[in-house]
Amino acid sequence: MSRPPADDLDDIQAARDARGPVLRKSPGPTAWFDIRKRSTGHWAFSLNRITSLGLVFYLYLHLAVLSMLLGGKDSWNGFLDIATQPLFLGFDVLLIFGLLFHGLNGLRVALVGSGVAPDHQKALFWSFMVFGAILLLGAALHIAGSG
Amino acid sequence: MATMTPEATGVHRSRTWRATAASGVALLVLVTIHMVAHHFVVEEVGGLRDYAQVLEYVSNPVMFVLEILFLVVVTAHAMLGLRSVLFDFGLSVRSKRLVARGLLVLGIATVAYGVTLISVLASRA
Repeated sequence: MSRPPADDLDDIQAARDARGPVLRKSPGPTAWFDIRKRSTGHWAFSLNRITSLGLVFYLYLHLAVLSMLLGGKDSWNGFLDIATQPLFLGFDVLLIFGLLFHGLNGLRVALVGSGVAPDHQKALFWSFMVFGAILLLGAALHIAGSG
Repeated sequence: MATMTPEATGVHRSRTWRATAASGVALLVLVTIHMVAHHFVVEEVGGLRDYAQVLEYVSNPVMFVLEILFLVVVTAHAMLGLRSVLFDFGLSVRSKRLVARGLLVLGIATVAYGVTLISVLASRA
C-alpha cells in the first residue's frame, strides 16, 4: 500500500484532531458498573468481579466471627442466637448466591480459557446459571426450613 | 456473547491466570465439602454448630486437614483475584510490584492466623 502524500497526511491528522480524543468505555472498576449497551459477557464479567470482592470481604468477616470461638462456649453460643435470626439467614442465601455465581461462572471462564467449548460459551453460561439457580433454590429452602 | 473478556476468550493465559483457574477449580470441590460437612448436615437452626460440635468437627484429623487445605487454597485464590482487580486500575510497574508483595504478605498472615485458630480449637477438644 503506497504512502499518501504529505499534504493528505496533514489533512488526515487535522480531521483526527477535529474529532477530539477517541472515546472508549473506561477500563477498570468504573466500567463494571457501566450498564449501557453491554453484552451478556460483560454482565457476567462485572458480576464475577463484584461477587469476588463480596466473597473476599466475607472471608475476613468469617475469620473474625470464628475468632469468637476463642472466647469459649458462652461467647460462641451468644453469637449463634444472633446468627440464627431471619435477617442473618437471608444473608446466608445471599452468600450462597455469590458462591454459586462466582464458582460456576469461574468454571465457565476456566473451561473456555482452556480451550473447552469456546464456541458454546453462551450455552455453557446459561446452563451453569440454570444449574446454579436450582442449587440456590434448594439451599434457600434448606435454610428457611431450618429457621 | 459478542464482547467477551480476555479470560473468556482464552487470549489471556498467563501463569497467574492458570493459577487462579486451578485454585478456583480446587475450591469448587473444597467449598462443597466445607458447606455440606460443616453446615448442611447439621440439624440446628441455620446449619450452625454449637461450641462443642465445632470442637468435635475440627478435632477430626480428616476435617482438620481439609479445613487447612481449604484455607490455603481460598486465600491464594482471593489474593490472586484481588491482584487482578487492583491491576484493573492501570497501576505503574512499581505499584504493581508493591501490590503483589503486599498481597503476598496479607495472604501469608491470613493463612497463619487461620491455621493458629483451627489448631487452638482442635487442641481444646
